[in-house]
Amino acid sequence: MSEQSVTSFRDRARSWLAANAPRRSDAQEPDGEPQAAGVAAQREFQAKLYDAGFAGITWPKEYGGQGLTNAEQIAFGEEARGYALPTGVFFIGLGMPGPTILEMGSEAQKKRYLPKMLRGEEIWCQLFSEPAAGSDVASLTTSAVRDGDEWLLNGQKVWTSGAQWSDYGAIIARTDPTVPKHNGITMFIVDMHAPGVTVRPLKVATGSSPFNEVFFDNVRLPAGSVIGEVNNGWAAAVVMLRNERVTIGTMGSPRTSPLSYHSLSALAARLGTGADVEVARRLARLYARERSVRLFGQLLREEAMAGRDPGARGSVAKLAGAELAMSACEVAEAVLGQAVVAGGAGDPEIDAVIMAVIGSPGSSVAGGTNEIQRNIIGERVLGLAKDPGVDRGTPFNQLRVGTLNTK
Amino acid sequence: MALVLNAEEEEFADSVRRFVAERSPRAKLRELMASGQPYHGDVWRQMSGGLGLSGLIIPAEYGGAEAGYRVLAVALTELGAGLVSSPLLAGTLAAGVLLRLDDKDAQGRLLPGIASGELIATLALAGDVTVRADGGTLTGEVAPVLNAAQAGVLLVPALAGGGIGVYEVEAAAAGLSVAAAPALDHSRSVGTVRLDGVAGRPLAGDAARALGFARDLANLALAAEQLGAFGAALEMTVEYAKIRAAFGRPIGAFQGVKHRLANLRTDWELAHAALLDAARAADERPGDFAAAAAVARVSVSDAYVAAATATIQLHGGIGFTWEHDAHLYYKNAISQNALFGDPRAQLDRLRTLLTAG
Ligand SMILES: Cc1cc2nc3c(=O)[nH]c(=O)nc-3n(C[C@H](O)[C@H](O)[C@H](O)COP(=O)(O)OP(=O)(O)OC[C@H]3O[C@@H](n4cnc5c(N)ncnc54)[C@H](O)[C@@H]3O)c2cc1C
Repeated sequence: MSEQSVTSFRDRARSWLAANAPRRSDAQEPDGEPQAAGVAAQREFQAKLYDAGFAGITWPKEYGGQGLTNAEQIAFGEEARGYALPTGVFFIGLGMPGPTILEMGSEAQKKRYLPKMLRGEEIWCQLFSEPAAGSDVASLTTSAVRDGDEWLLNGQKVWTSGAQWSDYGAIIARTDPTVPKHNGITMFIVDMHAPGVTVRPLKVATGSSPFNEVFFDNVRLPAGSVIGEVNNGWAAAVVMLRNERVTIGTMGSPRTSPLSYHSLSALAARLGTGADVEVARRLARLYARERSVRLFGQLLREEAMAGRDPGARGSVAKLAGAELAMSACEVAEAVLGQAVVAGGAGDPEIDAVIMAVIGSPGSSVAGGTNEIQRNIIGERVLGLAKDPGVDRGTPFNQLRVGTLNTK
Repeated sequence: MALVLNAEEEEFADSVRRFVAERSPRAKLRELMASGQPYHGDVWRQMSGGLGLSGLIIPAEYGGAEAGYRVLAVALTELGAGLVSSPLLAGTLAAGVLLRLDDKDAQGRLLPGIASGELIATLALAGDVTVRADGGTLTGEVAPVLNAAQAGVLLVPALAGGGIGVYEVEAAAAGLSVAAAPALDHSRSVGTVRLDGVAGRPLAGDAARALGFARDLANLALAAEQLGAFGAALEMTVEYAKIRAAFGRPIGAFQGVKHRLANLRTDWELAHAALLDAARAADERPGDFAAAAAVARVSVSDAYVAAATATIQLHGGIGFTWEHDAHLYYKNAISQNALFGDPRAQLDRLRTLLTAG
């Protein structure tokens, strides 16, 4: 990579964004789910982004990417900070299944799926969690049974973000229950429009429905659906979860988010609560925290660019981001004071803050809970002893999983 | 722009780390605690003359290395990790003020000695300025002042008329009395400076601006030292959690231990990123330096106290003994936390900067 080519790429990105992308308005954006019309518009925008050469910046050219380096990726991210790119529905596909297929998928899979993913023609979701297997996702019970070259998929997934508008999903299923739990899992590509797939949106605390429960009833997976190797799906899952943490942890949140220092300090000034010295100090602390979390994300990206694998430190970014959101909630409550009781009472700015406060606890659960991130940081970053895992050596079909009976 | 250390900075960090391990391991601090000496003269000579640490921010025309604030932060992080006692911070703050003032004569007289390490200089600044200057003579008391009892020259901020000035005071000046205080943290020698009609030489330049910079520089420097010490205390505790067993497992396998250490590592990473940014701001973005340095200080100070507390707790009984080094970090953490503005004062400072900017 030459510095000059990065500069000219940056210039090109800047003028393209100025001409084509919606600016982040100073008005606040509630974090709702897109409606059907919104999804169509997002597909259209992603296609424009692709045609202009700004999708899959670091992905190889033969799979629709730009074949450029992290330097261009970072440059684009920096230029795009002031814009609200309408590409949220592709966030999962491009952040998790995409990179995993790139790393572990077959040649045919890469050629078939990656370009369409980049062009916004196909939306993807990630089907890991089940009612009885979340943190301990290796205890999953959805099964895939071989039928000639094909597989028959049965079971249920839950909390699947974006399943309602997805075309494909990356799913992990049990293919051998007679071996210990990590060893009998395989990762597949599943067509979300195939017969036997039922998607039911679930309403969350904010009242919107960002995620779903998904049922698989004798769904046929064609030959060539396995990502990686049969019964080696745990390795693929680990790759995907690691990508997820880095993606979530380093994405940062815009100044215009209702829980940012920028928004909350303006609101505190308007409501008069900022005159209280303790509230003002908490705002200043929030500024410091927000800034240090953003800087750590930048540091991880720079290290990646210098060829250093962020590895498990992605979990540090993920945990720090989730805790930042929760501390911002506490500051928001202080800023709102009694205004929180009436639930905004028609003030759109207060409404947005309250919605964000209600939605924030989800970030301490989604993508692996804070407790699980602390385990990862303790074991993989600090090198502390692993949890002995009483279930590690036992064949899966002899384990107790999920919610235990109280009687 | 870039936060990551470049190859040269990494190499420099390695050489300071080696220096600390070979010439000033923590056992040296124990010697000072026993002897009551503020620092080892030979260690200081090697740090200043040998490694050039005393002149890192001083321009070459005054005999400094002109290496900049990023390099200074790298050095202080390593020295902080080893709890190395020296008059480096005192001299660095004095140099920082001199560089921001506009007194060529004083710069020419004082900076070469500070750069070589032969002149111990300090800045008599603690909290709000209360010393008064009447017709060139200074009256008042300042405490705590870094290396007050060893300094050959003191830069004393004082109120004069409606404004503020910085005055150069010789250690031997009539009316000046300095008392070394029994510092809680033996790695940091401090004292009380009393001025009773002391003749001071007023220094030319914008004193308010120079002192503002000194406070930012103090934040950067202390954040660097604290981050280093935080990292060392944490590493010591993590290593212990790997080898100490209870109930048939290493204690690090228990989540009560593991999660506490994971939280501290997370805090350390955030503070580290904030420090790298503050050091770069000092070199490259002067308008953002004050806020960046305050963010670094706020990010590290309380977290280091929490790490030092955990260091004692997670070592169990041995961690509470005089022989164990845990209490050295604990004392360092709680006393450095209060120097040049405790966390609440830093938040107030940050809040003023943010509403002004
Ligand atoms: C907004 C949102 C979006 C999501 N999107 C998706 C998605 O797209 N695809 C998908 O597959 N999943 C998704 N999830 C699911 C998410 O990954 C799981 O909810 C999460 O991993 C936790 O699993 P669980 O809900 O079963 O909780 P549990 O695993 O039952 O955890 C309950 C509590 O026990 C704690 N706990 C569990 N194990 C341990 C341990 N070893 N040590 C200490 N504490 C422990 C947990 O931290 C938690 O506090 C989403 C979740 C949310 C909230």
